[in-house]
Amino acid sequence: MSAPEVYNIAQVPITSHAFNANRSEVCVSLNSNEAQILGKQGSEWVAKETLSEHDKIITSIDWAPNSNRIVTASQDRNAYVWSQAPDPLTGQMIWKPTLVLLRINRAATYVRWSPNEDKFAVASGARAIAICSFDPESDWWVSKQLKKPIRSTVLSVDWHPNNVLLAAGSADMKARVFSAYIKDVDKKPQASVWGEKLPFNTVCGEYSSSSGGWVHAVGFSPSGDVLAFASHDSSITIVYPGAPAVITIKSMTLPYTTLVWTSEDSLVAAGHDCQPILFQGSETTGWKAVGSLDDTTAPKSSGGGRQSAVGRLNSAAFNTFRNADTRGQTSLPGMPGAGSGGESELMTVHQNTISTIRAHAGAPSQVTKVSTSGADGNLVIWTTNAVSGLVGRMSGLRM
Amino acid sequence: MSNVLKNYLAAVRATLTAALTLQDFSSQVVERHNFPEVEVRGSKEVLLNALTISRNENERVFIEPSINSIRLSIKIKQADEIERILCHKFTRFMMGRAESFVVLRRKPIPGYDISFLITNTHSETMLKHKVVDFIIQFMEDVDKEISEMKLSLNARARTVAESYLSMFGS
Amino acid sequence: METSFRKIDIDAYDEDVIQEEELYDADPRDPAQVLNDTKQKTSAVRGYLSKGDTAGALTMILTDPPYGPNVEQAKETNLSTLLTILGSTKSSEVSSVVKGLSQDAQDTLMKYLYKGMATSARSDANTSVLLSWHEKLTEVAGIGCIVRVMTDRRLV
Repeated sequence: MSAPEVYNIAQVPITSHAFNANRSEVCVSLNSNEAQILGKQGSEWVAKETLSEHDKIITSIDWAPNSNRIVTASQDRNAYVWSQAPDPLTGQMIWKPTLVLLRINRAATYVRWSPNEDKFAVASGARAIAICSFDPESDWWVSKQLKKPIRSTVLSVDWHPNNVLLAAGSADMKARVFSAYIKDVDKKPQASVWGEKLPFNTVCGEYSSSSGGWVHAVGFSPSGDVLAFASHDSSITIVYPGAPAVITIKSMTLPYTTLVWTSEDSLVAAGHDCQPILFQGSETTGWKAVGSLDDTTAPKSSGGGRQSAVGRLNSAAFNTFRNADTRGQTSLPGMPGAGSGGESELMTVHQNTISTIRAHAGAPSQVTKVSTSGADGNLVIWTTNAVSGLVGRMSGLRM
Repeated sequence: MSNVLKNYLAAVRATLTAALTLQDFSSQVVERHNFPEVEVRGSKEVLLNALTISRNENERVFIEPSINSIRLSIKIKQADEIERILCHKFTRFMMGRAESFVVLRRKPIPGYDISFLITNTHSETMLKHKVVDFIIQFMEDVDKEISEMKLSLNARARTVAESYLSMFGS
Repeated sequence: METSFRKIDIDAYDEDVIQEEELYDADPRDPAQVLNDTKQKTSAVRGYLSKGDTAGALTMILTDPPYGPNVEQAKETNLSTLLTILGSTKSSEVSSVVKGLSQDAQDTLMKYLYKGMATSARSDANTSVLLSWHEKLTEVAGIGCIVRVMTDRRLV
């Protein structure tokens, strides 16, 4: 089990991060209207270039690996596509913005390139998703909007591997699958479990979690046949459209805000709980939380996973309490924070909400590393097989 | 610490931790604006159910969560007239200096003595669990503070009465 | 001069705006039937309690609770029945009873605990009982359970 690589980028939240194809550079936005490109020097990430065109907070960044283009979305209702071009004066390669005609009148909240990198989807607070494709005649990106039946701000989107279907999670408590078929760009998609005829804005499915909650994150499995979404009721829901079967895993901890599939039968979710949790399962066996990636052998963070994650926020919190309390409960070995008597402390690598999780290494169907960034200004790279078991530890825990 | 008080504070702590799951959220009603949804109440879907935690009918905490902000209001124990006056003066003093308390609201919501407004900016710039600690600490201290003030007020009244009456004693 | 029009919330008239009723699936049952069901459950619960079967009584009361508009009376009845169960449980048994509940029942129980505390000002609900149940339930079901009380629009 290898320890996660932790890089402290800033003391302010990292709203979004995206690596380039060979992972030598990363584009981050530090809760501001500028995005920074960082390059790795030794064990540090050093700022190389600043992308400043937006005038409000950048909400989301995506870096297309093959065409090497960056797209940024911001609360100023705009998105820009950045590509590298030589500077006419110095001849150096610099990032140049291209305008995107989004035609939305509220904040852009989330952006993702399609798998073929010829389209991208911008989620927005205007109760719409703009599907953008390039118009070579005018040299800008034009958009077509998915509107119905979205009733609130769209919080996240994810592309199906076939480049046509798009999943969207929104604040009206629904996760939906749309067709984002653009005539001039796409070839006719093959029929899949999600449907056969797919003109633009076909709604292929609409799902919600039983206890409601805004849908923070959506994700198609590597094959595209399964959809997972994380909603604010602290649950992960897995949808098998064929059967149709919907499996909801209610977690004991705080809500997840982001997720990524690591293989056809596993995914990693993270969020307000400050640690990435691995889920595994299948249609027949059901799904369950396997353990936390943030679980080293170091004593301070033993007892990871679901149970202590309640614990984590809580345990430190509750224990401070209990210690202060005259009843003096015995501290449990392996229980973080217990007996330390100090202020409540988080035993996780991330000290605040994790906002973005992305696949870092490995093929889509066998992701070996994931990267996370969060409101504490840390960028962390985790090994997905470094999961410590929950079961053994849970039995040792008394809550 | 009594068992009920312990449970009460534990319940507030757990509920507050659950409510402090905030994120940046730009208004969907007014373009290019970003304000606490719990105050504006413009879009119903981004507000969550408000929860009350009560120790008894005179002491309770009201938590109103939303997507990017929460409002926490406390009704402080006021057993008699003196405590009522002290509590009023005390909270007024604090709220008059709200900006140095960062998360304090300038005005309590009706039915409560003091209100806090915590937004996603606060939970980003301060560690979330420390904010929770602060609120709990505040709740513990305010009761202590008021009973101490009441004691010293009574002691002072006694001294004053003594020295006044001593004029007639001799 | 007429100025009251300035106070009209015009955003509420936006046809895209989402309404309270659209946020959750309504109870398919008829209000009268809900009330009837609740009354039947109340008497069933009495049966369980007389046998000392708290877990059974709780499971009974927490399945299909009345929610949504127009069922105020059923909600009240269900709450007071539940409070009776909570009050009559020995504090040493609380943990094991809570552990025996399904996850859905735990979520519903948490909803009722908060509802009990919210209404304690006007009813005679014993908040110390509610608080100790709250502590035990949080230990077993986690903070996620409280988050679900906040997100779930099916108010009991």
